[in-house]
Amino acid sequence: MIMAQQHEPMYIQYFNDECRPLSFYLEKMNGYAASKKAFGMSQDDIINEVKKSNLRGRGGAGFPTGMKWGFIPKQSAKPKYLVCNADESEPGTFKDRDLMRYTPHLLIEGMLIAAFAVGAHHGYIYIRGEYTREAKLLQIAIDEAYAKGYLGKNVQGSGFDFDLTVHRGAGAYICGEETGLLNSLEGKRGEPRVKPPFPAQAGAFGGPTVVNNVETLTAVPYIINKGGEWFSALGKVEKSGGTRIICVSGHVNKPGLYEINAGSMTVRQIIDLAGGVLGGKKLKAVIPGGSSAPVLTADEIDVIYDIEPLMKVGTMMGSAAMMVVSEDYCMVKLIQRITKFYAHESCGQCTPCREGCKWMEDVLERILHGKGREQDLNLLLDITDNIAGKTLCALGDAAAGPVASFVKKFKPEFEAYIRGEKHG
Amino acid sequence: MAKCTIDGREVEFVAGTNLIEVAAKAGIEIPYFCYHPGLSIVAQCRMCAVEIEKMPKLQTACSTPATEGMVVKTRSDRVRQNQKSVMEFLLINHPLDCPICDKSGECDLQDQSFKYGDPYMRYTEERRTYLDLDMGPVIKKNMNRCIHCTRCIRFGTEVAGIHEMVAVQRGSNTEITTVDGRPLETDYAGNYSDVCPTGSLTLKDFRFRKRAWFLKKTPTVCEGCSRGCNMEIHQDANVIYRCLPRTNMEVNKYWLCDEGRFNYHYVNQEDRIVLPTLQAGESYQPTDWNQAIDQAKAVFNGKKLAILVGTDLTNEEAIQLQTFLPKQFGNAPVFHFGTPGIASTQDDAPADQILKRKSRTSNLNGFEKLGFKGFESLPAGIEAVLVIRGGRAEIPKFAAGVKVVGLGVFHTAENPGFEVVLPGTSFAEKDGTIVNFEGREQKLKRSINPRGQCKQLPEILMMWMNRGMSAGVAS
Amino acid sequence: MAKILSQKFYDEMNKLVPRYPTRVALLLPALHQAQEEAGWLPSEVMEEIGEYIGIHPAQVREVASFYTMYNLNPVGKYHIKVCTNVACCLRGADEIVEHIEKKFGIACGGTTPDKKFTLMEEECLGACGTAPAMMLNDDYYENLDIKTIDQLLDGLK
Repeated sequence: MIMAQQHEPMYIQYFNDECRPLSFYLEKMNGYAASKKAFGMSQDDIINEVKKSNLRGRGGAGFPTGMKWGFIPKQSAKPKYLVCNADESEPGTFKDRDLMRYTPHLLIEGMLIAAFAVGAHHGYIYIRGEYTREAKLLQIAIDEAYAKGYLGKNVQGSGFDFDLTVHRGAGAYICGEETGLLNSLEGKRGEPRVKPPFPAQAGAFGGPTVVNNVETLTAVPYIINKGGEWFSALGKVEKSGGTRIICVSGHVNKPGLYEINAGSMTVRQIIDLAGGVLGGKKLKAVIPGGSSAPVLTADEIDVIYDIEPLMKVGTMMGSAAMMVVSEDYCMVKLIQRITKFYAHESCGQCTPCREGCKWMEDVLERILHGKGREQDLNLLLDITDNIAGKTLCALGDAAAGPVASFVKKFKPEFEAYIRGEKHG
Repeated sequence: MAKCTIDGREVEFVAGTNLIEVAAKAGIEIPYFCYHPGLSIVAQCRMCAVEIEKMPKLQTACSTPATEGMVVKTRSDRVRQNQKSVMEFLLINHPLDCPICDKSGECDLQDQSFKYGDPYMRYTEERRTYLDLDMGPVIKKNMNRCIHCTRCIRFGTEVAGIHEMVAVQRGSNTEITTVDGRPLETDYAGNYSDVCPTGSLTLKDFRFRKRAWFLKKTPTVCEGCSRGCNMEIHQDANVIYRCLPRTNMEVNKYWLCDEGRFNYHYVNQEDRIVLPTLQAGESYQPTDWNQAIDQAKAVFNGKKLAILVGTDLTNEEAIQLQTFLPKQFGNAPVFHFGTPGIASTQDDAPADQILKRKSRTSNLNGFEKLGFKGFESLPAGIEAVLVIRGGRAEIPKFAAGVKVVGLGVFHTAENPGFEVVLPGTSFAEKDGTIVNFEGREQKLKRSINPRGQCKQLPEILMMWMNRGMSAGVAS
Repeated sequence: MAKILSQKFYDEMNKLVPRYPTRVALLLPALHQAQEEAGWLPSEVMEEIGEYIGIHPAQVREVASFYTMYNLNPVGKYHIKVCTNVACCLRGADEIVEHIEKKFGIACGGTTPDKKFTLMEEECLGACGTAPAMMLNDDYYENLDIKTIDQLLDGLK
């Protein structure tokens, strides 16, 4: 087994403009060799290789990618689809933007292989509407690929046909949820669907559909080129293969993207990697996996930054978006802002999310404006209980988890507002 | 048959049935708002969430089909807590205006609130309010009362086949509306109100006319076309206030068209001729039954007569006429009539993709089965016509000089120019059988007493026979 | 009804038709394309889109109003959308919003009387590593501070 002893970046060395063109991809990144290889493999072999790699979804849920592909029926009366989730809407996340901006062909090739493995002949990249520039750059790359026979009919002489279309979202967080995304792709309101049926049974336009995140798909050419075991060995904790691009933002000296071997560092080490807390201040809190992840206090950061270790301490890795908060930022203000976001983004279909998120926002706003009452904190916790696990999609949990964690872990700050010692 | 366990009871079910229906069959109520058996399942309101063994989260019963051996709890603490919390969420922005709300007394939200909610309200923030735009003549919207169940939207797109009622904006700002308050286009708009589980969409026709709990309900059949949709007449003190669809999966499922729904109005209409009446010049003169019958006989005396019988009458009425007419009028020709251009069931066809049929009367099929011939035009030389109908059959235009006597339900606004009107009963005032387009025999049930001096057909025929000798008919 | 949308709109849309198995799927691209032409989406434009796709105008409205990028009301020539979500907030987005509000004398959501600037608060733009960030029409501006904001906005005609 090949053990990667050192940090072995797959992506970030390519995050600059000259890496974007097809010519660079072909010459310097062994471009479209993996798809060529994949066309010589059986679909099952490809899926097994991905299973072996321990590649897990990079969008937030961390679901094993190979298993997801394996759910797609071999035979289907309706056309199958591959959809790339490039909605990147979880606050704090900004990795897919660079992946699309600088390594679009890695994504295209990843999609080509994934599509071949599941038998889809049309792929869509659902990109958030605000990324207009990235959508244009993707389109340029797609046009290049079509021109050179890496997309379209009979790709690379394989007999396999694959079309790829960029579909722009239009400003809705919920379209990052895969069934909301599919509705949006179909020209509807981006409201999540009742599951089952899952997308693998009935997804885009009713056909069996795989929805994968950008970073997930860009890992695929590596896995095919270098093997599932190689990829798996990049990971330093069980069940997680590869490297992870971590989005570090907030109060650090060097915010940005950092690529580490999965599970190779603690939260504290990653903050240090990003230059430490801004201005040498003391750390107050870390939101480890996008704004929907329950918050960690400064005492809780010696935890390995990966899916299971974070789950064990009651939070999540999500989309690997780490937001750092230093000592003098107000936690009440912060959670009010986060909750306002979820209330704004709730699609409004299901009762607890539609009503509960707005209610929490209003209570927090009232507390912030010095009109809090003693019973408000219990009320907030009660509302989070009544939302969490009871909504149609995960947005309810995304809104409830942070509120509960902020109220529990930073209670004195809320109480100071309620006592009238502070107000915003 | 497959079995599952609900609240400790073993319950049989047909594969594919959801837990709400399986439980209901066993007499166990699982409360819900967004679920409707005739619409797609969206699992949005979350009220029907139940506990299922081996599943960590509560599951919505509407979207969960029962499976063999499944163990379901519908009254556990977790389930009750969720019901309480859903009720709280639904009510925080719902106005406490039941006393002035038309839905009060038959409101799902009100009922479930009593059963599953908490009387104590913790919400102290400002309530969400909307300015309502109009929706046309059928439906009155009050968005403040809406609980976003989307049944109306689904009814429009899935049943009425029109995407006119929509949700705009999103989250807690979501509003149900038509584009810029345009009138609803479907002629099934009344169903929007039926499916609404709150007082958000009410019928303009019914609003503020009667409290729901005063209404007496009679199951009957619509007479609006040859489908014979099942419905209920709701009346109080002999006044009909509304008609609502009654579920019959083989005929109309859960629905009723607006024409059928509002058809009842003619029964109560001011200008209905409810007394025996003679025509004097331009106006009608009420008289008594004996005089009216005498006058009718005088009109027919010595004239060549034809008889038109409306296919809005019942089989029982038709059969009585089959005995009565030859006895009284010899071989005068008899035709059935109802909808111009629809002389037989051959001409009858669907009028839309939903329920309506081309025959705008309910018993065309029944009359044909009884051997009546369809009316196309009067045979040559006819000088007088006896028109017998319920209230819907469309009276043909007769040549000037043809004298007409009407028996049944007529309105002065129709200005039939009849010599005599013998007032009969409408579909709401009698019992009887009608046969729909597919041969299904269904029962009309009397829900109110005949108005004024209107009489049932057998009684009128009896009076006619007992009133002296039969009319001399030219042969 | 007279057509408002240009031939270019129809050409662009017709090119997309073969990319989707249904016509309704053209709705989001159509709304984007139409907004690019008109700057916002008046009722008549949505009506025309509905007609082109073959759906009820209410369906166009329900979809358009779901997404924040579609302007259902007119906006200024320069549409400033400042991200005030977590990462940007931590990096001073509030001060930037306040500064622009004062600079133009408008509140968030407002448009200057000369219809030149519309200011809005935006949810996370996915530019958290370069916070605070904003969009000016279709373009991103990142690592903002009061000085760069002034330079940028003062340079606009």
